[in-house]
Amino acid sequence: MKQHIHLRFFRPVSFLFLILLTAATAIAQYKISGTVVDNNGRPVRGANVYLDNTLDGGTTDSMGIFRFTTSEKGNQSIVASEVSHETAGLPIVITGDVSGIVLRIQANKAHDLDMVVITAGSFDASNDKSKTVLRPLDIVTTAGANADVVKAIEMLPGTQQTGTENGLFVRGGDASELSILVDEMVVQNAFFSGPPGVATRSRFGAFQYQGVSFSSGGYSARYGQALSGVLELNTTDLPDKSTVNLGVNMAGLYASGTKKWKKSALDIGGSYNNLTPFYGLATTNFKFYSPPVGYNGNLRYVWKPNKDGILKISANGSYTNSGIAIPNPYTAVQNATSPYLYAFAGLPDTVDFITRDQYYYTNASYKQLFKDKFSLYTAASYSLDSTKNKFGTVPINEKDQRAQFRIEGKDYFTSRLNLLVGGEVQNYSISKDFDSAYRQNYKETQLAGYTELEWTPINMIAIRPGLRYEHSALLNKDDIAPRISMAIKTSAHSQISLASGLFYQDPEDLYLLAGLRPGMQEAIHYIANWQYTKDDRTLRIEGYYKKYEHLILEHDSTYDPNAYRIITQSTIVDNSGYGYAEGAELFFRDKKTVKNLDYWISYSYIDTKRKYENFPTEATPTFIANNNLSLVAKYFVDKWQTNFSATYSYASGRPYYNPNNPTFLGDKTPDFNNLALTVAYLHSFGKWFTVFYLSIDNITNQHNIFGYRYTYDANGVVTSAPKSPVVPALYRSYFVGVNMSLTQFKKDEL
Amino acid sequence: MKKMILLGAMALTIVNAKAQDFKPVLEKTFMAFDTTWDQNAKIEQSNKLSLIAKKWDNEWVTHYYAAYSKIALTYQEKDGPKKDAYLDEADKELEDAITILKKQNDETYVLGAMIANGRIGVDPMARWQKYGSIFSGDLESAKDINADNPRMYLEQGISKFYTPKAYGGGKKAAMPYFEKADALFAKEAGTPAANNIAIPHWGKRTNDYFIGLCKQEDKE
Repeated sequence: MKQHIHLRFFRPVSFLFLILLTAATAIAQYKISGTVVDNNGRPVRGANVYLDNTLDGGTTDSMGIFRFTTSEKGNQSIVASEVSHETAGLPIVITGDVSGIVLRIQANKAHDLDMVVITAGSFDASNDKSKTVLRPLDIVTTAGANADVVKAIEMLPGTQQTGTENGLFVRGGDASELSILVDEMVVQNAFFSGPPGVATRSRFGAFQYQGVSFSSGGYSARYGQALSGVLELNTTDLPDKSTVNLGVNMAGLYASGTKKWKKSALDIGGSYNNLTPFYGLATTNFKFYSPPVGYNGNLRYVWKPNKDGILKISANGSYTNSGIAIPNPYTAVQNATSPYLYAFAGLPDTVDFITRDQYYYTNASYKQLFKDKFSLYTAASYSLDSTKNKFGTVPINEKDQRAQFRIEGKDYFTSRLNLLVGGEVQNYSISKDFDSAYRQNYKETQLAGYTELEWTPINMIAIRPGLRYEHSALLNKDDIAPRISMAIKTSAHSQISLASGLFYQDPEDLYLLAGLRPGMQEAIHYIANWQYTKDDRTLRIEGYYKKYEHLILEHDSTYDPNAYRIITQSTIVDNSGYGYAEGAELFFRDKKTVKNLDYWISYSYIDTKRKYENFPTEATPTFIANNNLSLVAKYFVDKWQTNFSATYSYASGRPYYNPNNPTFLGDKTPDFNNLALTVAYLHSFGKWFTVFYLSIDNITNQHNIFGYRYTYDANGVVTSAPKSPVVPALYRSYFVGVNMSLTQFKKDEL
Repeated sequence: MKKMILLGAMALTIVNAKAQDFKPVLEKTFMAFDTTWDQNAKIEQSNKLSLIAKKWDNEWVTHYYAAYSKIALTYQEKDGPKKDAYLDEADKELEDAITILKKQNDETYVLGAMIANGRIGVDPMARWQKYGSIFSGDLESAKDINADNPRMYLEQGISKFYTPKAYGGGKKAAMPYFEKADALFAKEAGTPAANNIAIPHWGKRTNDYFIGLCKQEDKE
């Protein structure tokens, strides 16, 4: 009964309401239509057009036309949004149907893919940056590099081919002018110890790094003490999964394991190296009576306490032992009146060289980003390299130590403006003794502070000015090094980059060990490049001019071609040396034209001269080839799951010292040629992902010559005996190995 | 008096319209999105899902579906920067959903993994390392919350499916994941979630599609 009344009471109301509603809709359904165009007037398809704060809206068709109906009226705002455009709106007044609305939306939404990136003087091999032309994987798959990061960099513009010396020779600079950094910390002994005249591998395997950045000049104010460039390696973050990795190759055995927890991971690895099979199969030029044998162990812990923070601690230890009979580089030093050390006088022309090296490296770093606004990075490292070598009968002991601490903060004011401020302290020492009788040592402490501003006022312009202050306790000198680099986008796919700056570096170990304390050496860089990147094709042309000032010059020396010479404190030196380097470089890479084919061409031309060290006159140094060319190609055959990679390298002749030629360094060696091939076959054995690889270096068994040596008599006068060529330790060599990794061994994944 | 009632009724209607249940319109739009293969139709429905998320700004699930639709739009999109732009939008919507929830649930983790997977798809060589760990990390977190989430296994299966055989992927390796997901989808169908758009339960259709693809191998 009650319900009945209730119903009766409400029925007319609901009825009325129904009429009212229908009437309202009938009256208020307005048609809204128009078009959405971009800033060039082209129609935009798929744009969402709607009245703000309502569900009333439509999507544009291929002509950019939208239509929808609404019951809203009065003052409204109509908004158009599309994923690759900026959202834009217009106020409209709805009193009836509205048609012909034109909404204009900007097509230049800033994506990292479109933003200009400063590239002058630098090559990045990184996983996060989209503009990089090189990936870490590229390093492993480059034939002739043997998975050595530094060797792979020699396939890039601005570097010289090496065969008998360690290090990267960048744009007229010698090996000491490049600084190698791991997680922003300097690595003191980046290469395995070896005898003079034999190039050894760098200590860096490609898989430990997620990014490699090579700068052949104009680098950031964050770094100093390198006249030519820096090679930055960034270690990997928290691994993906727990893994086990095993391998065997002609250089030894290795095993490593990664245990991953939710927010942390522990890596343990070890290896036993024995190069007997490698040297056994190669065409060797020296007698390895005791081929290199060694052990290596490493431990690493990574912890991610939160989404934006990461702590890394690593420790590494290794031991190497080798014995080789090498041509004595000191044969020219027979003269007791020479300012050089004469401890090696009287040794035979070929001497046995024994290397025993212990190396320890440890690094801890912590990085934290706070609310996407401020980032803090701090790191500490320590390394100790202790070698007990024997040169014939003369024992040579050396101990190198380095400790470094760095702290820096970066404030991201906006996504277009950030400021870096940091400081570092480095303390390092080298002590050396010969036959326990003759000792040399030095200890240096350096302090540095730096700041760098990164500003992208508009998408097409980026500018990065920086300033670095350095203090050397050993030399008691202070220096200020300003740096600047910038980039301007010249079209959708091309850009121009410029860089310049002042770079300082301590005198070479040779002088510091002798107790000499001249001032800092200096270089000024001017770099300009043009880069075109589209669809996995990159073309880059770079030119530079580099001026050297205050290089170390010896005043009372006669030229000694021995690169391993030792001098005494009585040598008169100052900072009056000078020089220049200028050149043009070309890089072209194409991953697009042929499917699965990736190739690049790198060509460098350089003109450089300097008067430094014991040069009697300005000349092109012996490590410079005016023309360097590398052709790298990689092709993956899907059907065979096999990757083929070939590299051809060419360098024109290098100057060498001929004591009979009145023109200093006036002779040149024959050209350098090298062809290398790597084949890698991928296969999964159950859950074991396996890679078999075979590399052949110098396939044609080319007898490359890096210089010549002359014979001298007891008075230091050159004899008429024929000159002998300076050759690498190996000509053609083979490398075979297999790597197995097990990623998925968690039983509970399913 | 009648006027008063009328006014009151009108006021009520307005209030009601404001507080109107989002579920029917969300369900209708999502179904329209999920059952079409036509990219333009998908864009249109995804645009609507964005408007729904804007209107019912305090419901995590409206943002969840908007995010899902942006991810799904990348599957047929060829242009890399555009894919990234969709994923940027998905990231924003997912963030909104998580902000409302105050804490991630298994479904938001699965979506996070899907975004990471989409990022890898734009530039696999360059991105697998960074986003691969986000992908597996998010799925692991989802599993810790709810080991019976079928979408988690579906996503793992899809990732395996598209991994080259030489790297331990392929149809055979992916199948167990789809089968596991299939069993869990069957289980889910019997829960109240199956009839409630506010509890995500999508994925069966996609899973069936992949099971079909995996079975094709037998004929080869």
